[in-house]
Amino acid sequence: MRFQIDKDVFQDALNQVQHVVSTRTTLPILSNVLIEADELGLQLSTTDLDVTVTKRVPAKVGETGSTTLPARRLASIVRELPTSEIDIEVNADNAATVRSGPSFFKILGLPSSEFPVIGEFGEAKVFTIDQRLLRDALRKTSYAISTDETRYVLNGVNCIMGEGMLTLVATDGRRLAMVEQDLEFPAGQESGVIIPTKAVNELQRLFENSGELKVAISDSQASFELNGSLLITKLIEGNYPNFRQVIPGQANYRVTVEREVLHSAVKRVSLLVNEKTNSIKFAFEDNRLAISANSPEIGEAEEIIDVRYDGPRIVVAFNPEFVMAPLRNLDQDEIFIDLIDESSPGVIKIDEPFLYVIMPMRVAN
Amino acid sequence: MHSSHPLDPQPDIPATQLNALWTTISHDLRAELGHSTFDLWFENFQLRSLSPEEVVLVAPGTIYAIWVEENFKSSLLSSFEKHLGACGRIRFEVSVAEEEESLAAGEGTEAIAEVPAEERRQVNPRVLAETVSERKLLELGRAAGLVETFRFDNFVPGENSELAWAASRAVADLPGKTYQPLFFHSACGLGKTHLLHAIGWESLRLRPKSKIIFVTAEHFANDYIDAIQKNALVPFRKRYREADLLLIDDVQFLGRKEGLQREFFHTFNRLADRQKQIVLASDCPASEIVELEDRLVSRFQWGLGVEIHRPGLETRAAILRRKRDDWKMQISDDLINIIVERVRGNVRALEGALIRVAMVTTMSESPISPEQVVEVIADISGGQETRQVGVEEIKRTVAEHYDIDVQIINGKKRTARVAEARQIAMYLVRTLTDLSLVEVASAFAKDHGTVIYAVRKVKKRCDDSASFKSTVELIKRRLVRGGSAMESPRAVRGQYPPNPRLGANPLATGPNEV
Repeated sequence: MRFQIDKDVFQDALNQVQHVVSTRTTLPILSNVLIEADELGLQLSTTDLDVTVTKRVPAKVGETGSTTLPARRLASIVRELPTSEIDIEVNADNAATVRSGPSFFKILGLPSSEFPVIGEFGEAKVFTIDQRLLRDALRKTSYAISTDETRYVLNGVNCIMGEGMLTLVATDGRRLAMVEQDLEFPAGQESGVIIPTKAVNELQRLFENSGELKVAISDSQASFELNGSLLITKLIEGNYPNFRQVIPGQANYRVTVEREVLHSAVKRVSLLVNEKTNSIKFAFEDNRLAISANSPEIGEAEEIIDVRYDGPRIVVAFNPEFVMAPLRNLDQDEIFIDLIDESSPGVIKIDEPFLYVIMPMRVAN
Repeated sequence: MHSSHPLDPQPDIPATQLNALWTTISHDLRAELGHSTFDLWFENFQLRSLSPEEVVLVAPGTIYAIWVEENFKSSLLSSFEKHLGACGRIRFEVSVAEEEESLAAGEGTEAIAEVPAEERRQVNPRVLAETVSERKLLELGRAAGLVETFRFDNFVPGENSELAWAASRAVADLPGKTYQPLFFHSACGLGKTHLLHAIGWESLRLRPKSKIIFVTAEHFANDYIDAIQKNALVPFRKRYREADLLLIDDVQFLGRKEGLQREFFHTFNRLADRQKQIVLASDCPASEIVELEDRLVSRFQWGLGVEIHRPGLETRAAILRRKRDDWKMQISDDLINIIVERVRGNVRALEGALIRVAMVTTMSESPISPEQVVEVIADISGGQETRQVGVEEIKRTVAEHYDIDVQIINGKKRTARVAEARQIAMYLVRTLTDLSLVEVASAFAKDHGTVIYAVRKVKKRCDDSASFKSTVELIKRRLVRGGSAMESPRAVRGQYPPNPRLGANPLATGPNEV
């Protein structure tokens, strides 16, 4: 196999696929990237047996063929190469020589026949959506995924397609993020699946600002095709709990606040967060919000910001990280905080179909 | 459980009593959390059963179970503790009827899958938190065969045992998930057994309901023989194969016992299949256990094998300070430093020295002087401080005995005599020095497999032939007694201070003595 490829093209592609490679894997072949060269260019693939990413890139192929090379090592070599043209030649023993200007590398690979074959996709539901739609929805929800492995059904984003809606939900039992986007699905293509965290993270690397996304969903797998890349993932098996039961009903009070102002204020005050309770206080009163932290052994912090609120004084305590996570991932200038009382869940909303339920923490006084 | 309706209380406590207790607890929770919060989260919860080990609550849906567990577990626990004195873990089950109803009533968007009702009810039977009284813990621990004093909090990890310590903690936290099996090996008295017990105690504390078994391999063998004699293999197998955590000490005892190995092989497989944790301790690496079936060797090597080394000076000092504080002895740090400089074998010897010094201290009127300490522990330090023997010295002594040139030992010649000499030399280097397998191999310009083979072969021949054994012993005695002008590599490297009592005890043998 022999080909010539542009350094930036190769580097970008390797960056997109190398994260799938697990750092500590039992099978050496899983550390490698499968490189297949045909007349049209290269196809790069990596897998950890759960998630597989394949990327097509243009290259001048002198001789077709395939091999596998250590993904991370190759990526770090390519990153450092001095010229924009890279020549790679792989011999029958899967030893690759990489030439770029004065540089010469020889990297030992493994035969492509050892690379795992990605399981056949059974009967699947297929549809196409705007990739920006899924990108934004994932960004607004994925930070709330649970990392508690004993609750494996929560280790992913629950994705429901049907009834004219695309609904994405993630929760860890103390907060819940949901996006509900109007979207017509072809009849018979409705489904509900749980996309595991790793696939969500890898998918977010592949998104671009525009273009279509082709989704296929089978019983146990899903695939996403976009921008010349293909991601195939196993789905989390099991039933996602009925999350709607924890979304509070009608709120009594609504606070309107500037997102960035709130975010930076919470960030500053949280520097003195009480390590025991891990909470900071939000006191809403008379168009003002006082955010304060008090840590007996360390000290205290307070910041007062302007908000729109004309209800009675309400004091709620929240985990500051749980407040900041959605603020970081939204882009609207203004957000709303809906409250029922001091001990009921609060809800962060924007003027788009998004909501974030956050449990208050109990405060001593 | 399978035969009863999910909402049936267990027969020992009547439903009315459970309901009454839940009402009381609800009252507390209302007062603590406020009515609106209580109604929002706890309204349709029920108390299903109660035992010293666990409280089972039925939640009206999986999401309620998760939410309550994440947000209100401390309130629940303290309330149960207030009324029951002690509270085991709290476990949630999800009521089938409620869950199905909510699925149907939900927006019709839940991923609907045909899960049998029995399974669905178990969706999230998860441990919420577990507190178990010390008394109960002791009771459970003793039943499991654990020794009370071997806990994590009185183990002093040092550079010699860091990895073993970390692996033990990981295994106790997530049994069956991290290292399967975990295999310790070291010379005696360095803490293998302590860690095994400590893993058992910690697991019990975290999961009081789990079945934990600690046995020595010998005990396992006796149980097995008993079972065969009484024709009661079924209960024997049930006991071991249904364990959640199996801790086996001195597994080298399995060596050369075929029937026992076969039985243990199946026990091992069964536990591994069920992702139950196995922790093993041995006085040598799995590969060096004499006549251990290859399939067991390879299984023992699946997970993590950790060697516990002899503690260094600082660790020895830390261990003794810890012991002194535990035993409330009046011994200064300076005296401890004197002890650890002189006694550098296993921890038991260190403790013995400490106790002696403490005894002399309490009996004498005036404070004990450093010179007295040296004198009091003289025989212990003499016995422990094996002369540091060097590789070259061993090679030379063996060569002398076989009347061959030292160069031949390093060479490739493989006549029976030379091969025997070479194997004995490897065996002695392995047992008398601290060198690792790889270091030994490179000292002989061979690979480590050859060394393993040589060590095994010599051990076996020692067992089979008394005359061979006496040859090995003879060479060993010569080495230990000294009389060679060669410096040991250790002394050259200056890792240990020069030893004034070199070879004082002619019968002393290395701590790795087999």
